[in-house]
Amino acid sequence: MTFPIGAIPGIGAAIGTGGVAGIDSTAAVNGTGAAGGDAFSSILASSFDQLAATQANADGLAAQAATGDLKDVHDYMIARNEASLATEMVVGIKNAAVSAFTEIMRMPI
Amino acid sequence: MIGEITPAALHASLSGLAQRQRVTADNIANINTPGFLAGRVDFESSLEGALRNGETPRINGGTVARSLEPTNTNGNNVNLDAETLIATETGLRYQLALNALDGKYNSIRTALRTS
Amino acid sequence: MAIFDTFGISGSGLMTHRKWLDAVSDNIANVNTVRRTDEDAFQQRMVVAEAIEYGTGEGGVRVARAEFGNAEGRLVYQPDHPLADEAGYVKYPDIDLGDQMSQMIMAQRGYQANLAVVERATEAYKAALQLGKG
Repeated sequence: MTFPIGAIPGIGAAIGTGGVAGIDSTAAVNGTGAAGGDAFSSILASSFDQLAATQANADGLAAQAATGDLKDVHDYMIARNEASLATEMVVGIKNAAVSAFTEIMRMPI
Repeated sequence: MIGEITPAALHASLSGLAQRQRVTADNIANINTPGFLAGRVDFESSLEGALRNGETPRINGGTVARSLEPTNTNGNNVNLDAETLIATETGLRYQLALNALDGKYNSIRTALRTS
Repeated sequence: MAIFDTFGISGSGLMTHRKWLDAVSDNIANVNTVRRTDEDAFQQRMVVAEAIEYGTGEGGVRVARAEFGNAEGRLVYQPDHPLADEAGYVKYPDIDLGDQMSQMIMAQRGYQANLAVVERATEAYKAALQLGKG
């Protein structure tokens, strides 16, 4: 079972270097931000897709646990933990992006 | 992103397992009662059927039937080993279902956070 | 569920050992059951255990059948016994109490061992439920 953090290298790199590729370019601040904005939104979109997949996997195993068909309990526990971590990561990125945007909008021009 | 069927399925599982726990306690209490037939709870059949059809499962604690296994000389068919194992298994599955529901709610709560 | 398969397997072990214990207690209870010399003696009851799906690791054990011991018994001279024949003999079962006692200990040990497996499987399951709690 692949771990979500490893599967989304773009976001990992962005957080590691302390800046998101798209947002800290002046093109994004000016609002025209075509190239920078697209890079960030596509990163966010792909992470949402993978998040949906991990959530669906965890939900499927939860349904198996409910009916008693679950073969190994640790399969469900691992899937649920991965889904939670992926959720937290995506939500963290979204919140950081929103607060960064708010900061930028507050800057006197 | 968040299906509504999963929490309902887990809720149905929890009430079915709680019913099974009660019926097992009843069986063990009546282990020496003449003519007593062990009770069996089945909620998995209707739960699986509902999930297969994509419907929301009904939460009614399952159906209770009397076991038709062979009885001993005084008409009692409660098997202590089987009941003990059922009790342990039911307890563990109950913990798992609670854990699953907890994880589901935490997931939703995390997604709602704004900071 | 893998852990619950363990429950089924240990459960079959528990029931088989309990049936063994039942047979042994039946034999011990009837160790002095006297019969006439022209009837069969009380026969020792033995349970035959058989592995389910031998070797796959997912099987268990069951009681395939019961076997009965020697019907000839021992002839004992007890002329005052109401069931004695003209020569004064009655028939006692061919059961060795020492043998039955050691079987009883083995059956009990086997039962306890299976119970220990159930307990370990329960602990493992509960530990798995703690995954991610830090």
